[in-house]
Amino acid sequence: MNADQKPARASAAAEPIVSLKNIDIRYGNFHAIKNVSLDVYRGEVVAMVGPSGAGKSTLLRAINMLETPVSGTLKVGNFSFTLDHELSQKELLLLRRSTGMVFQQFNLFPHMTVEKNISLPQMRVLGRSKEEADKVTARLLERVQLADKAKSYPARLSGGQQQRIAIARALALDPQVMLFDEPTSALDPELGLEVLAVMRELANDGMTMIVVTHEIAFAAEVADRVIVMADGEIIEQGTPEEVIRNPRLPRTQKFFRAILDRH
Amino acid sequence: MTEILTPLMNIGQYFIALLKGVPISLAVTVSAFLVGAILGIPLVLMRRSQYWLPRTLARVYIDVIRGIPPVVWLFIIFFGVGSSIIAFTPTQAAILGMGMISAGYLAEIYRGGFLAIPPGQTLASVALGLTRIDSLRFVLAPQVLRVSLPAMATYFISLLKDTTVASTIGVRDVMMLVTQQAQAAGGGFGPFIAAAVIYILLSIPVAAFARVMDAKLRQRVSR
Repeated sequence: MNADQKPARASAAAEPIVSLKNIDIRYGNFHAIKNVSLDVYRGEVVAMVGPSGAGKSTLLRAINMLETPVSGTLKVGNFSFTLDHELSQKELLLLRRSTGMVFQQFNLFPHMTVEKNISLPQMRVLGRSKEEADKVTARLLERVQLADKAKSYPARLSGGQQQRIAIARALALDPQVMLFDEPTSALDPELGLEVLAVMRELANDGMTMIVVTHEIAFAAEVADRVIVMADGEIIEQGTPEEVIRNPRLPRTQKFFRAILDRH
Repeated sequence: MTEILTPLMNIGQYFIALLKGVPISLAVTVSAFLVGAILGIPLVLMRRSQYWLPRTLARVYIDVIRGIPPVVWLFIIFFGVGSSIIAFTPTQAAILGMGMISAGYLAEIYRGGFLAIPPGQTLASVALGLTRIDSLRFVLAPQVLRVSLPAMATYFISLLKDTTVASTIGVRDVMMLVTQQAQAAGGGFGPFIAAAVIYILLSIPVAAFARVMDAKLRQRVSR
């Protein structure tokens, strides 16, 4: 992927596809997310980094309301909500149908074959027939290079393979944005690479992606924008060049130095 | 010596006489189990509800039903409810009474099953946009059932034995026949040995099923 392509892709659409405004999340006295606003544009790849406990995953999960913000406004695709009332089940379903999420622990359904893992949500959520769904599933399995595993059960697959299936399962619902919650953290480095390869390809195909990650090399190479979070706030953001190589804040400098020292 | 040996030699004879009670013992057990397995579903859903009222109702039901000895419960249904409100045959009363007890125990077994499912399963269903019903039907219920099967089989065996109290309200099950045989024989433990053998023979296949399911389950879960 060459670097000068990225800003062009990011700025192609003026209207953000994901827009968070003044999002607050609290657990009792703990202020997990403090008045955070974030716009993500169509085709943009945003990497969220920062120390653990910074609120990266919490913010990511606010986008599909797996975490419930106490206030703010939230827009994903055509759906826009002001969080001053409890959302109805129907609103929540609409929101979640426009986002795809990939978890650290894969969370495939262990009692279903790989094919059924990917086809069943299509049939139940989008109302596709079994034939249609299985066709989409076959195409996606091809894409994550696991076409031969359609009839296998998840427990028979490696972590890397399971995560690629989980990506395929989310993609099968044609989401407008893909949310990745530390997708490689539960994998050993080698298996992580095959997952990152799939994600890189997705980014090249123009998928809008928000990725919470500790893979700084991946963020540097694939992300259009890197967001650094600490203590429930976005403390710094910009291109990977700006943020990773020349961080402004001492807090950010310390964070990246710690990661670089590790490698 | 003969005083001990004679009843022993008659065991075979008692055994054959008691076999007549097996169909009714099994019918009461299986029916009560089915009633409990079905009623246990809404009960566990209420027990796990996010709302206070259904959760409390379910908990009170479960605590009450588990706190009453089966024989007392059957008397309440057969002599109490049965005589003043609806007339039950002894078998109907036994199935209903033991079924309601089973519902309480099976709901708790299901609840344990739900707790054994990693929270990531629900999280993934929610993130995919599955409705609550779909998530329950396609994702959670099959896994809960699979995890619960060994405990359900164990409960079935204990229910098989507990249903012997049905004889106290006049169900002509194995236990009722044992009592009659024992009285006719004028003492001796022969009929009881025969009954013990019958109950063991009935529970062995269920126990074997439980073990096979358990082994299968472990195989599935581990790589």
